[in-house]
Amino acid sequence: MDNKSIKEPIQKKWIWIILFFIILGNVPWYFQSGSIAPLVWGVPYWTLFIVAFAILLSAFTSWVIMTQWNIVEDEEEDEEKERKRGIEHE
Amino acid sequence: MNELIFAGLDGVLVLIFYAVVMLLIGYFSGRGEKGLHESLSNYYLAGKGLGLVTLFFTLYATQYSGNTIIGYAPAAYRSGFVWLQSITFMTVIFAGYLLFAPRMYVISKRLNFITPTDWLQFRFNSKAVSILAIFLMLWGLGNYLLEQLVAIGQAVSSLTGGTIPYQVAVVAFILVMLIYEWLGGMKAVAFTDVMQGVVLMVGIFVFLIGAFYLVGWDFGTVTRFIAEAEPAKAAVPDLPTTINWFSILILVGCGAAIYPHAIQRIFAAKSERTLKRSFAVMAWMPLITTGLVFVVGIIGIALIPGLDEAGSEQLVGLMANQIASINGFYYWIMILFFGAIVAAILSTADSVLLSFSSLVSNDVYGKYINPNASEHKKVMVGKVVGVIAVILLLWLAWNPPGTLYEIFVLKFELLVQVFPAFVVGIYWKRMAAMPVFWGMLAGAVIAGGMTLTGHGTYMGVHGGVIGLAVNFIVVVVGSLLVPVTEQKEVKLRKIDLVE
Repeated sequence: MDNKSIKEPIQKKWIWIILFFIILGNVPWYFQSGSIAPLVWGVPYWTLFIVAFAILLSAFTSWVIMTQWNIVEDEEEDEEKERKRGIEHE
Repeated sequence: MNELIFAGLDGVLVLIFYAVVMLLIGYFSGRGEKGLHESLSNYYLAGKGLGLVTLFFTLYATQYSGNTIIGYAPAAYRSGFVWLQSITFMTVIFAGYLLFAPRMYVISKRLNFITPTDWLQFRFNSKAVSILAIFLMLWGLGNYLLEQLVAIGQAVSSLTGGTIPYQVAVVAFILVMLIYEWLGGMKAVAFTDVMQGVVLMVGIFVFLIGAFYLVGWDFGTVTRFIAEAEPAKAAVPDLPTTINWFSILILVGCGAAIYPHAIQRIFAAKSERTLKRSFAVMAWMPLITTGLVFVVGIIGIALIPGLDEAGSEQLVGLMANQIASINGFYYWIMILFFGAIVAAILSTADSVLLSFSSLVSNDVYGKYINPNASEHKKVMVGKVVGVIAVILLLWLAWNPPGTLYEIFVLKFELLVQVFPAFVVGIYWKRMAAMPVFWGMLAGAVIAGGMTLTGHGTYMGVHGGVIGLAVNFIVVVVGSLLVPVTEQKEVKLRKIDLVE
Protein backbone atom coordinates (compact mmCIF):
# COMPACT_ATOMS: atom_id res chain seq x y z
CA MET A 1 0.00 0.00 0.00
CA ASP A 2 1.42 3.35 -0.77
CA ASN A 3 0.24 6.26 1.25
CA LYS A 4 -0.78 8.50 -1.66
CA SER A 5 -3.46 6.23 -3.08
CA ILE A 6 -5.20 5.72 0.26
CA LYS A 7 -8.43 7.59 0.89
CA GLU A 8 -9.89 7.35 4.36
CA PRO A 9 -12.88 9.51 5.40
CA ILE A 10 -11.72 9.97 9.01
CA GLN A 11 -8.64 11.83 7.74
CA LYS A 12 -10.67 14.45 5.90
CA LYS A 13 -11.92 17.09 8.29
CA TRP A 14 -14.16 18.79 5.76
CA ILE A 15 -16.37 15.69 5.52
CA TRP A 16 -17.19 15.89 9.22
CA ILE A 17 -17.76 19.63 9.20
CA ILE A 18 -20.24 19.30 6.33
CA LEU A 19 -21.93 16.36 8.05
CA PHE A 20 -22.27 18.36 11.24
CA PHE A 21 -23.99 21.21 9.42
CA ILE A 22 -26.32 18.89 7.52
CA ILE A 23 -27.36 17.23 10.79
CA LEU A 24 -27.78 20.62 12.43
CA GLY A 25 -29.98 21.68 9.51
CA ASN A 26 -32.07 18.55 9.95
CA VAL A 27 -33.15 19.59 13.45
CA PRO A 28 -35.82 22.34 13.37
CA TRP A 29 -34.32 24.68 16.00
CA TYR A 30 -34.25 27.61 13.59
CA PHE A 31 -38.02 27.90 13.08
CA GLN A 32 -40.58 29.65 15.23
CA SER A 33 -41.75 27.05 17.72
CA GLY A 34 -45.48 26.30 17.36
CA SER A 35 -45.85 27.58 13.78
CA ILE A 36 -47.56 25.46 11.10
CA ALA A 37 -48.58 27.72 8.22
CA PRO A 38 -48.09 28.12 5.38
CA LEU A 39 -48.84 24.67 4.06
CA VAL A 40 -46.75 24.03 0.97
CA TRP A 41 -47.63 21.06 -1.31
CA GLY A 42 -50.01 19.89 1.39
CA VAL A 43 -47.52 19.79 4.27
CA PRO A 44 -46.35 22.31 6.91
CA TYR A 45 -43.59 24.48 5.38
CA TRP A 46 -40.93 23.51 7.93
CA THR A 47 -41.14 19.78 7.20
CA LEU A 48 -39.95 20.44 3.64
CA PHE A 49 -36.68 21.79 5.01
CA ILE A 50 -36.30 18.78 7.28
CA VAL A 51 -36.94 16.36 4.43
CA ALA A 52 -34.56 18.28 2.16
CA PHE A 53 -31.81 17.96 4.76
CA ALA A 54 -32.62 14.25 5.20
CA ILE A 55 -32.19 13.75 1.44
CA LEU A 56 -29.01 15.80 1.51
CA LEU A 57 -27.68 13.61 4.34
CA SER A 58 -28.35 10.42 2.37
CA ALA A 59 -26.80 11.89 -0.77
CA PHE A 60 -23.70 13.23 0.95
CA THR A 61 -23.10 10.09 3.04
CA SER A 62 -23.52 7.89 0.01
CA TRP A 63 -21.21 10.08 -2.07
CA VAL A 64 -18.51 10.09 0.62
CA ILE A 65 -18.69 6.30 0.91
CA MET A 66 -18.24 5.85 -2.84
CA THR A 67 -15.62 8.49 -3.54
CA GLN A 68 -13.68 9.26 -0.36
CA TRP A 69 -13.04 5.72 0.82
CA ASN A 70 -10.45 3.61 -0.94
CA ILE A 71 -7.93 1.72 1.13
CA VAL A 72 -7.46 -1.79 -0.21
CA GLU A 73 -10.05 -1.83 -2.98
CA ASP A 74 -7.62 -1.62 -5.92
CA GLU A 75 -5.37 -4.26 -4.42
CA GLU A 76 -8.28 -6.63 -3.72
CA GLU A 77 -9.80 -6.19 -7.15
CA ASP A 78 -6.43 -6.88 -8.82
CA GLU A 79 -6.05 -10.03 -6.75
CA GLU A 80 -9.54 -11.11 -7.68
CA LYS A 81 -8.75 -10.59 -11.38
CA GLU A 82 -5.55 -12.62 -11.00
CA ARG A 83 -7.46 -15.38 -9.27
CA LYS A 84 -10.07 -15.51 -12.00
CA ARG A 85 -7.40 -15.59 -14.68
CA GLY A 86 -5.73 -18.47 -12.80
CA ILE A 87 -8.93 -20.47 -12.81
CA GLU A 88 -9.44 -19.90 -16.54
CA HIS A 89 -5.94 -21.22 -17.29
CA GLU A 90 -6.46 -24.42 -15.33
CA MET B 1 -53.27 -6.08 18.52
CA ASN B 2 -56.97 -6.11 17.64
CA GLU B 3 -58.60 -9.01 15.85
CA LEU B 4 -57.84 -8.68 12.18
CA ILE B 5 -60.77 -9.26 9.89
CA PHE B 6 -58.54 -11.17 7.52
CA ALA B 7 -56.98 -13.29 10.22
CA GLY B 8 -57.58 -17.02 10.40
CA LEU B 9 -56.92 -19.88 8.05
CA ASP B 10 -55.62 -17.70 5.19
CA GLY B 11 -53.13 -16.13 7.59
CA VAL B 12 -52.03 -19.54 8.83
CA LEU B 13 -51.43 -20.71 5.26
CA VAL B 14 -49.30 -17.69 4.45
CA LEU B 15 -47.26 -18.13 7.61
CA ILE B 16 -46.67 -21.79 6.83
CA PHE B 17 -45.57 -20.81 3.33
CA TYR B 18 -43.04 -18.29 4.70
CA ALA B 19 -41.78 -20.83 7.26
CA VAL B 20 -41.23 -23.51 4.62
CA VAL B 21 -39.34 -21.09 2.34
CA MET B 22 -37.05 -20.06 5.20
CA LEU B 23 -36.35 -23.67 6.15
CA LEU B 24 -35.53 -24.54 2.55
CA ILE B 25 -33.14 -21.59 2.27
CA GLY B 26 -31.46 -22.63 5.52
CA TYR B 27 -31.16 -26.21 4.37
CA PHE B 28 -29.66 -25.39 0.99
CA SER B 29 -27.27 -22.74 2.29
CA GLY B 30 -25.74 -25.23 4.74
CA ARG B 31 -25.73 -28.25 2.45
CA GLY B 32 -22.49 -29.26 0.80
CA GLU B 33 -20.46 -26.83 2.88
CA LYS B 34 -17.91 -29.16 4.40
CA GLY B 35 -16.12 -26.79 6.72
CA LEU B 36 -19.19 -24.86 7.84
CA HIS B 37 -19.39 -26.24 11.36
CA GLU B 38 -15.65 -26.72 11.79
CA SER B 39 -14.66 -23.07 11.62
CA LEU B 40 -15.80 -20.00 13.57
CA SER B 41 -15.23 -17.81 10.54
CA ASN B 42 -17.26 -20.05 8.23
CA TYR B 43 -20.18 -20.46 10.62
CA TYR B 44 -20.42 -16.96 12.06
CA LEU B 45 -19.13 -14.85 9.16
CA ALA B 46 -20.01 -16.94 6.09
CA GLY B 47 -16.29 -17.47 5.50
CA LYS B 48 -15.89 -13.68 5.16
CA GLY B 49 -17.27 -13.92 1.66
CA LEU B 50 -20.62 -12.10 1.54
CA GLY B 51 -21.21 -10.55 -1.88
CA LEU B 52 -23.03 -7.33 -2.74
CA VAL B 53 -26.63 -8.60 -2.86
CA THR B 54 -26.49 -10.74 0.28
CA LEU B 55 -24.51 -8.15 2.23
CA PHE B 56 -26.92 -5.39 1.29
CA PHE B 57 -30.03 -7.36 2.18
CA THR B 58 -28.60 -8.70 5.40
CA LEU B 59 -27.77 -5.13 6.43
CA TYR B 60 -31.25 -4.03 5.39
CA ALA B 61 -33.30 -6.85 6.95
CA THR B 62 -31.30 -6.71 10.16
CA GLN B 63 -31.51 -2.96 10.58
CA TYR B 64 -35.21 -2.77 9.78
CA SER B 65 -37.30 -5.07 11.88
CA GLY B 66 -41.02 -5.73 12.08
CA ASN B 67 -40.90 -3.12 14.79
CA THR B 68 -40.00 -0.55 12.15
CA ILE B 69 -43.60 -0.90 10.99
CA ILE B 70 -45.68 -1.90 13.99
CA GLY B 71 -43.77 0.37 16.38
CA TYR B 72 -42.80 3.37 14.22
CA ALA B 73 -46.19 4.02 12.62
CA PRO B 74 -47.76 4.47 16.09
CA ALA B 75 -44.80 6.67 17.06
CA ALA B 76 -45.58 8.94 14.09
CA TYR B 77 -49.25 8.83 15.06
CA ARG B 78 -48.48 10.02 18.60
CA SER B 79 -45.77 12.59 17.92
CA GLY B 80 -46.80 13.85 14.48
CA PHE B 81 -44.36 15.44 12.02
CA VAL B 82 -41.58 15.46 14.61
CA TRP B 83 -41.22 11.76 13.83
CA LEU B 84 -39.44 12.82 10.62
CA GLN B 85 -36.38 12.26 12.82
CA SER B 86 -36.79 8.52 12.20
CA ILE B 87 -35.48 9.05 8.67
CA THR B 88 -32.34 10.81 9.81
CA PHE B 89 -31.47 8.62 12.73
CA MET B 90 -31.42 5.64 10.40
CA THR B 91 -29.17 7.50 7.93
CA VAL B 92 -26.80 8.86 10.51
CA ILE B 93 -25.81 5.26 11.37
CA PHE B 94 -23.85 5.22 8.13
CA ALA B 95 -22.02 8.39 9.05
CA GLY B 96 -21.22 6.48 12.28
CA TYR B 97 -19.88 3.56 10.23
CA LEU B 98 -17.64 5.96 8.28
CA LEU B 99 -15.81 6.76 11.51
CA PHE B 100 -14.35 3.30 11.81
CA ALA B 101 -15.55 0.79 9.21
CA PRO B 102 -12.98 1.58 6.49
CA ARG B 103 -10.01 0.92 8.79
CA MET B 104 -11.76 -1.83 10.76
CA TYR B 105 -12.41 -3.80 7.57
CA VAL B 106 -8.70 -3.81 6.70
CA ILE B 107 -7.56 -4.70 10.24
CA SER B 108 -10.17 -7.43 10.62
CA LYS B 109 -8.99 -9.13 7.43
CA ARG B 110 -5.36 -8.80 8.43
CA LEU B 111 -5.84 -10.19 11.94
CA ASN B 112 -8.76 -12.50 11.18
CA PHE B 113 -11.31 -11.19 13.67
CA ILE B 114 -14.51 -13.09 14.46
CA THR B 115 -16.10 -10.81 17.08
CA PRO B 116 -15.67 -7.17 18.16
CA THR B 117 -13.97 -8.49 21.29
CA ASP B 118 -11.10 -9.84 19.17
CA TRP B 119 -10.29 -6.24 18.31
CA LEU B 120 -10.53 -5.02 21.91
CA GLN B 121 -8.38 -7.93 23.08
CA PHE B 122 -5.72 -7.18 20.46
CA ARG B 123 -5.78 -3.46 21.08
CA PHE B 124 -5.86 -3.31 24.88
CA ASN B 125 -4.76 -6.82 25.91
CA SER B 126 -6.73 -6.43 29.13
CA LYS B 127 -9.10 -8.96 30.66
CA ALA B 128 -10.98 -6.19 32.47
CA VAL B 129 -11.73 -4.28 29.25
CA SER B 130 -12.68 -7.41 27.29
CA ILE B 131 -14.93 -8.87 29.99
CA LEU B 132 -16.76 -5.61 30.65
CA ALA B 133 -17.25 -5.07 26.91
CA ILE B 134 -18.47 -8.66 26.45
CA PHE B 135 -20.93 -8.12 29.29
CA LEU B 136 -22.28 -4.86 27.82
CA MET B 137 -22.57 -6.37 24.35
CA LEU B 138 -24.28 -9.57 25.52
CA TRP B 139 -26.64 -7.50 27.64
CA GLY B 140 -27.54 -5.27 24.71
CA LEU B 141 -27.97 -8.20 22.33
CA GLY B 142 -30.01 -10.19 24.87
CA ASN B 143 -32.46 -7.36 25.42
CA TYR B 144 -32.67 -6.65 21.72
CA LEU B 145 -33.53 -10.31 21.14
CA LEU B 146 -36.12 -10.21 23.92
CA GLU B 147 -37.81 -7.27 22.22
CA GLN B 148 -38.00 -9.21 18.95
CA LEU B 149 -39.46 -12.29 20.64
CA VAL B 150 -42.21 -10.21 22.22
CA ALA B 151 -42.92 -8.61 18.83
CA ILE B 152 -43.17 -11.99 17.06
CA GLY B 153 -45.85 -12.99 19.57
CA GLN B 154 -47.93 -9.89 18.88
CA ALA B 155 -47.63 -10.12 15.10
CA VAL B 156 -48.32 -13.84 14.81
CA SER B 157 -51.25 -13.87 17.19
CA SER B 158 -52.99 -11.01 15.42
CA LEU B 159 -52.46 -12.58 12.01
CA THR B 160 -53.78 -16.02 12.86
CA GLY B 161 -56.67 -14.54 14.83
CA GLY B 162 -56.41 -17.23 17.48
CA THR B 163 -56.63 -20.08 14.96
CA ILE B 164 -53.22 -21.09 16.23
CA PRO B 165 -52.81 -20.35 19.96
CA TYR B 166 -50.44 -17.46 20.57
CA GLN B 167 -47.71 -19.42 22.36
CA VAL B 168 -47.72 -22.31 19.89
CA ALA B 169 -47.29 -19.88 17.01
CA VAL B 170 -44.36 -18.13 18.66
CA VAL B 171 -42.62 -21.39 19.50
CA ALA B 172 -43.17 -22.66 15.96
CA PHE B 173 -41.60 -19.58 14.40
CA ILE B 174 -38.69 -19.51 16.76
CA LEU B 175 -38.07 -23.18 16.03
CA VAL B 176 -37.98 -22.37 12.33
CA MET B 177 -35.38 -19.68 13.04
CA LEU B 178 -33.28 -21.93 15.26
CA ILE B 179 -33.32 -24.73 12.71
CA TYR B 180 -32.20 -22.67 9.72
CA GLU B 181 -29.61 -20.89 11.78
CA TRP B 182 -28.30 -24.17 13.18
CA LEU B 183 -28.03 -25.60 9.66
CA GLY B 184 -26.41 -22.72 7.87
CA GLY B 185 -25.06 -20.13 10.31
CA MET B 186 -24.40 -16.69 8.82
CA LYS B 187 -25.00 -18.01 5.31
CA ALA B 188 -28.52 -19.07 6.20
CA VAL B 189 -29.12 -15.80 8.07
CA ALA B 190 -27.94 -13.73 5.09
CA PHE B 191 -29.80 -15.73 2.43
CA THR B 192 -33.05 -15.69 4.39
CA ASP B 193 -32.47 -11.96 4.85
CA VAL B 194 -32.66 -11.52 1.06
CA MET B 195 -36.14 -13.04 1.03
CA GLN B 196 -37.22 -11.29 4.24
CA GLY B 197 -35.84 -7.92 3.11
CA VAL B 198 -37.60 -8.02 -0.27
CA VAL B 199 -40.89 -8.97 1.37
CA LEU B 200 -40.55 -6.14 3.88
CA MET B 201 -39.78 -3.52 1.22
CA VAL B 202 -42.71 -4.56 -0.96
CA GLY B 203 -44.99 -4.80 2.09
CA ILE B 204 -44.30 -1.22 3.15
CA PHE B 205 -44.98 0.11 -0.36
CA VAL B 206 -48.27 -1.70 -0.70
CA PHE B 207 -49.43 -0.71 2.77
CA LEU B 208 -48.72 2.92 1.91
CA ILE B 209 -50.67 2.65 -1.33
CA GLY B 210 -53.61 1.18 0.58
CA ALA B 211 -53.43 3.99 3.14
CA PHE B 212 -53.42 6.64 0.40
CA TYR B 213 -56.38 4.93 -1.27
CA LEU B 214 -58.36 5.24 1.96
CA VAL B 215 -57.78 9.00 2.21
CA GLY B 216 -58.63 9.54 -1.46
CA TRP B 217 -55.00 10.13 -2.51
CA ASP B 218 -55.13 13.53 -0.85
CA PHE B 219 -52.38 14.13 1.68
CA GLY B 220 -53.23 17.86 1.91
CA THR B 221 -56.57 17.04 3.55
CA VAL B 222 -54.74 14.87 6.08
CA THR B 223 -52.40 17.72 7.01
CA ARG B 224 -55.23 20.26 7.23
CA PHE B 225 -57.15 17.90 9.51
CA ILE B 226 -54.13 17.53 11.80
CA ALA B 227 -53.45 21.28 11.79
CA GLU B 228 -57.01 21.91 12.97
CA ALA B 229 -57.66 18.96 15.28
CA GLU B 230 -54.22 18.46 16.81
CA PRO B 231 -52.04 21.45 15.87
CA ALA B 232 -49.19 20.35 18.17
CA LYS B 233 -48.57 17.38 15.89
CA ALA B 234 -48.06 19.59 12.83
CA ALA B 235 -46.22 22.49 14.46
CA VAL B 236 -42.51 23.22 14.82
CA PRO B 237 -41.54 21.48 18.10
CA ASP B 238 -40.45 23.33 21.26
CA LEU B 239 -36.81 23.57 22.34
CA PRO B 240 -36.62 20.49 24.63
CA THR B 241 -38.08 18.33 21.85
CA THR B 242 -35.54 19.78 19.42
CA ILE B 243 -32.65 19.05 21.81
CA ASN B 244 -34.00 15.54 22.28
CA TRP B 245 -34.07 15.12 18.49
CA PHE B 246 -30.42 16.14 18.23
CA SER B 247 -29.48 13.92 21.18
CA ILE B 248 -31.06 10.88 19.59
CA LEU B 249 -29.11 11.49 16.38
CA ILE B 250 -25.87 11.40 18.37
CA LEU B 251 -26.91 8.36 20.39
CA VAL B 252 -27.98 6.35 17.37
CA GLY B 253 -25.12 7.56 15.17
CA CYS B 254 -22.56 6.31 17.70
CA GLY B 255 -24.53 3.37 19.07
CA ALA B 256 -26.24 1.57 16.21
CA ALA B 257 -23.12 1.19 14.10
CA ILE B 258 -21.32 -0.61 16.90
CA TYR B 259 -23.95 -3.22 17.61
CA PRO B 260 -21.93 -6.45 17.51
CA HIS B 261 -24.01 -7.85 14.65
CA ALA B 262 -23.49 -4.59 12.75
CA ILE B 263 -19.71 -4.81 13.21
CA GLN B 264 -19.68 -8.45 12.20
CA ARG B 265 -21.20 -7.53 8.87
CA ILE B 266 -18.05 -5.48 8.22
CA PHE B 267 -15.98 -8.57 9.02
CA ALA B 268 -18.14 -10.76 6.80
CA ALA B 269 -17.86 -8.60 3.67
CA LYS B 270 -16.15 -10.22 0.73
CA SER B 271 -14.26 -7.12 -0.28
CA GLU B 272 -13.96 -3.40 0.35
CA ARG B 273 -15.83 -2.72 -2.85
CA THR B 274 -18.76 -4.90 -1.76
CA LEU B 275 -18.87 -3.25 1.65
CA LYS B 276 -18.76 0.26 0.20
CA ARG B 277 -21.47 -0.37 -2.34
CA SER B 278 -23.86 -1.93 0.15
CA PHE B 279 -23.30 0.95 2.58
CA ALA B 280 -23.81 3.52 -0.18
CA VAL B 281 -27.20 2.04 -1.08
CA MET B 282 -28.15 1.58 2.57
CA ALA B 283 -27.65 5.31 3.17
CA TRP B 284 -30.70 5.90 0.92
CA MET B 285 -32.92 3.25 2.45
CA PRO B 286 -34.31 5.25 5.40
CA LEU B 287 -36.13 7.53 2.94
CA ILE B 288 -38.11 4.62 1.50
CA THR B 289 -38.43 2.64 4.73
CA THR B 290 -38.84 4.67 7.93
CA GLY B 291 -39.84 7.61 5.71
CA LEU B 292 -42.79 5.73 4.21
CA VAL B 293 -43.79 4.25 7.57
CA PHE B 294 -43.81 7.82 8.90
CA VAL B 295 -46.30 8.80 6.18
CA VAL B 296 -48.47 5.80 7.11
CA GLY B 297 -48.56 6.95 10.76
CA ILE B 298 -49.47 10.51 9.75
CA ILE B 299 -52.30 9.30 7.51
CA GLY B 300 -53.44 7.24 10.51
CA ILE B 301 -54.00 10.42 12.54
CA ALA B 302 -56.69 11.53 10.08
CA LEU B 303 -58.02 8.05 9.32
CA ILE B 304 -58.50 6.80 12.88
CA PRO B 305 -58.34 9.89 15.11
CA GLY B 306 -58.44 9.96 18.89
CA LEU B 307 -56.56 6.80 19.86
CA ASP B 308 -54.87 6.95 23.28
CA GLU B 309 -51.34 5.67 23.81
CA ALA B 310 -52.30 2.00 24.23
CA GLY B 311 -54.86 2.29 21.43
CA SER B 312 -52.31 3.78 19.05
CA GLU B 313 -50.14 0.67 19.42
CA GLN B 314 -52.89 -1.12 17.47
CA LEU B 315 -52.69 1.39 14.61
CA VAL B 316 -51.16 -0.91 11.98
CA GLY B 317 -53.72 -3.64 12.68
CA LEU B 318 -56.60 -1.16 12.55
CA MET B 319 -55.41 0.33 9.26
CA ALA B 320 -54.74 -3.14 7.83
CA ASN B 321 -58.36 -4.08 8.56
CA GLN B 322 -59.60 -1.06 6.60
CA ILE B 323 -57.21 -1.69 3.74
CA ALA B 324 -58.10 -5.41 3.60
CA SER B 325 -61.79 -4.58 3.21
CA ILE B 326 -61.21 -2.48 0.06
CA ASN B 327 -61.32 -5.57 -2.20
CA GLY B 328 -59.98 -9.10 -2.67
CA PHE B 329 -56.64 -7.91 -4.00
CA TYR B 330 -55.91 -5.77 -0.95
CA TYR B 331 -57.21 -8.57 1.29
CA TRP B 332 -54.52 -10.96 0.10
CA ILE B 333 -51.87 -8.27 0.02
CA MET B 334 -52.57 -7.51 3.69
CA ILE B 335 -52.15 -11.16 4.63
CA LEU B 336 -48.82 -11.23 2.79
CA PHE B 337 -47.93 -7.95 4.50
CA PHE B 338 -48.50 -9.33 7.98
CA GLY B 339 -46.46 -12.37 7.06
CA ALA B 340 -43.77 -9.88 5.98
CA ILE B 341 -43.84 -8.30 9.42
CA VAL B 342 -43.23 -11.69 11.03
CA ALA B 343 -40.43 -12.37 8.52
CA ALA B 344 -38.87 -8.99 9.24
CA ILE B 345 -38.85 -9.64 12.97
CA LEU B 346 -37.25 -13.04 12.41
CA SER B 347 -34.60 -11.54 10.15
CA THR B 348 -33.52 -9.21 12.93
CA ALA B 349 -33.80 -11.81 15.68
CA ASP B 350 -31.72 -14.37 13.78
CA SER B 351 -28.83 -11.95 13.25
CA VAL B 352 -28.87 -10.85 16.87
CA LEU B 353 -28.94 -14.46 18.05
CA LEU B 354 -26.07 -15.41 15.75
CA SER B 355 -23.99 -12.56 17.09
CA PHE B 356 -24.89 -13.55 20.65
CA SER B 357 -23.75 -17.12 19.99
CA SER B 358 -20.52 -15.95 18.40
CA LEU B 359 -19.64 -13.92 21.50
CA VAL B 360 -20.25 -17.00 23.63
CA SER B 361 -18.26 -19.29 21.28
CA ASN B 362 -15.33 -17.09 20.54
CA ASP B 363 -15.08 -14.85 23.59
CA VAL B 364 -16.57 -16.36 26.72
CA TYR B 365 -15.83 -20.01 25.96
CA GLY B 366 -12.95 -19.64 23.52
CA LYS B 367 -10.97 -17.03 25.44
CA TYR B 368 -11.67 -17.78 29.08
CA ILE B 369 -13.23 -21.20 29.65
CA ASN B 370 -11.54 -23.55 27.19
CA PRO B 371 -9.11 -21.78 24.87
CA ASN B 372 -7.69 -25.10 23.61
CA ALA B 373 -11.01 -26.44 22.37
CA SER B 374 -11.35 -27.24 18.67
CA GLU B 375 -13.24 -24.73 16.53
CA HIS B 376 -15.91 -27.35 15.98
CA LYS B 377 -16.49 -27.55 19.71
CA LYS B 378 -16.51 -23.76 20.09
CA VAL B 379 -19.14 -23.44 17.36
CA MET B 380 -21.21 -26.17 19.02
CA VAL B 381 -21.05 -24.49 22.45
CA GLY B 382 -22.20 -21.18 20.93
CA LYS B 383 -25.13 -22.84 19.17
CA VAL B 384 -26.30 -24.70 22.27
CA VAL B 385 -25.97 -21.66 24.55
CA GLY B 386 -27.86 -19.64 21.92
CA VAL B 387 -30.76 -22.08 22.07
CA ILE B 388 -30.75 -21.98 25.89
CA ALA B 389 -30.68 -18.17 25.83
CA VAL B 390 -33.72 -18.10 23.52
CA ILE B 391 -35.61 -20.44 25.86
CA LEU B 392 -34.79 -18.26 28.88
CA LEU B 393 -35.75 -15.08 27.04
CA LEU B 394 -39.01 -16.62 25.91
CA TRP B 395 -39.79 -17.55 29.48
CA LEU B 396 -39.00 -13.97 30.46
CA ALA B 397 -41.17 -12.60 27.64
CA TRP B 398 -44.17 -14.57 28.92
CA ASN B 399 -43.54 -13.92 32.60
CA PRO B 400 -42.39 -10.29 32.66
CA PRO B 401 -41.07 -9.30 36.08
CA GLY B 402 -43.25 -6.89 38.00
CA THR B 403 -40.36 -4.82 39.28
CA LEU B 404 -37.04 -3.77 37.73
CA TYR B 405 -38.71 -3.94 34.36
CA GLU B 406 -36.43 -1.12 33.18
CA ILE B 407 -33.42 -3.43 33.25
CA PHE B 408 -34.83 -5.13 30.22
CA VAL B 409 -35.33 -1.90 28.38
CA LEU B 410 -31.69 -0.92 28.76
CA LYS B 411 -29.71 -1.76 25.69
CA PHE B 412 -28.56 1.12 23.59
CA GLU B 413 -27.52 3.27 26.56
CA LEU B 414 -25.17 0.54 27.78
CA LEU B 415 -23.95 -0.70 24.45
CA VAL B 416 -22.92 2.75 23.24
CA GLN B 417 -20.35 2.91 26.06
CA VAL B 418 -18.12 0.54 24.08
CA PHE B 419 -17.85 3.23 21.37
CA PRO B 420 -14.71 5.07 22.63
CA ALA B 421 -12.75 1.84 23.11
CA PHE B 422 -13.87 0.53 19.80
CA VAL B 423 -13.55 3.57 17.58
CA VAL B 424 -11.08 5.99 19.16
CA GLY B 425 -8.79 3.07 19.96
CA ILE B 426 -8.22 2.55 16.23
CA TYR B 427 -6.65 5.94 15.70
CA TRP B 428 -5.29 7.11 19.02
CA LYS B 429 -2.39 4.95 20.08
CA ARG B 430 -1.96 6.56 23.46
CA MET B 431 -5.32 5.23 24.55
CA ALA B 432 -4.64 2.93 27.50
CA ALA B 433 -6.50 -0.05 28.92
CA MET B 434 -7.32 1.02 32.46
CA PRO B 435 -8.81 4.42 31.55
CA VAL B 436 -10.87 2.64 28.89
CA PHE B 437 -12.18 0.25 31.51
CA TRP B 438 -13.06 2.96 34.03
CA GLY B 439 -14.58 5.19 31.34
CA MET B 440 -16.76 2.37 30.05
CA LEU B 441 -17.84 1.46 33.57
CA ALA B 442 -18.59 5.08 34.55
CA GLY B 443 -20.60 5.62 31.35
CA ALA B 444 -22.57 2.41 31.88
CA VAL B 445 -23.31 3.20 35.53
CA ILE B 446 -24.49 6.73 34.70
CA ALA B 447 -26.62 5.67 31.75
CA GLY B 448 -28.04 2.62 33.52
CA GLY B 449 -28.60 4.52 36.77
CA MET B 450 -30.47 7.35 35.05
CA THR B 451 -32.79 4.94 33.25
CA LEU B 452 -33.40 2.76 36.31
CA THR B 453 -34.28 5.75 38.48
CA GLY B 454 -36.73 6.95 35.87
CA HIS B 455 -34.63 9.88 34.60
CA GLY B 456 -33.98 8.61 31.09
CA THR B 457 -33.17 12.11 29.85
CA TYR B 458 -31.84 15.31 31.41
CA MET B 459 -33.11 18.48 29.73
CA GLY B 460 -33.84 16.41 26.64
CA VAL B 461 -30.37 14.81 26.52
CA HIS B 462 -30.37 11.00 26.86
CA GLY B 463 -28.64 9.27 29.79
CA GLY B 464 -26.64 7.28 27.24
CA VAL B 465 -25.23 10.49 25.72
CA ILE B 466 -24.33 11.94 29.13
CA GLY B 467 -22.67 8.64 30.11
CA LEU B 468 -20.80 8.69 26.82
CA ALA B 469 -19.50 12.21 27.46
CA VAL B 470 -18.18 11.23 30.90
CA ASN B 471 -16.77 8.04 29.40
CA PHE B 472 -14.84 10.11 26.81
CA ILE B 473 -13.45 12.47 29.43
CA VAL B 474 -12.23 9.61 31.66
CA VAL B 475 -10.65 7.84 28.69
CA VAL B 476 -8.87 10.89 27.31
CA VAL B 477 -7.60 12.37 30.60
CA GLY B 478 -6.65 8.93 31.97
CA SER B 479 -4.78 7.92 28.82
CA LEU B 480 -2.77 11.15 28.78
CA LEU B 481 -1.53 10.28 32.27
CA VAL B 482 -0.32 6.79 31.29
CA PRO B 483 3.09 6.69 29.55
CA VAL B 484 3.39 4.78 26.24
CA THR B 485 5.75 1.81 26.19
CA GLU B 486 7.89 1.00 23.18
CA GLN B 487 6.61 -2.56 23.16
CA LYS B 488 3.07 -1.34 22.77
CA GLU B 489 4.08 1.03 20.01
CA VAL B 490 5.68 -1.77 18.02
CA LYS B 491 2.61 -3.96 18.39
CA LEU B 492 0.24 -1.22 17.30
CA ARG B 493 2.13 -0.75 14.02
CA LYS B 494 0.01 -3.64 12.82
CA ILE B 495 -3.02 -1.38 12.65
CA ASP B 496 -1.32 1.25 10.51
CA LEU B 497 -2.52 1.33 6.96
CA VAL B 498 1.02 1.65 5.63
CA GLU B 499 3.07 -1.11 7.20
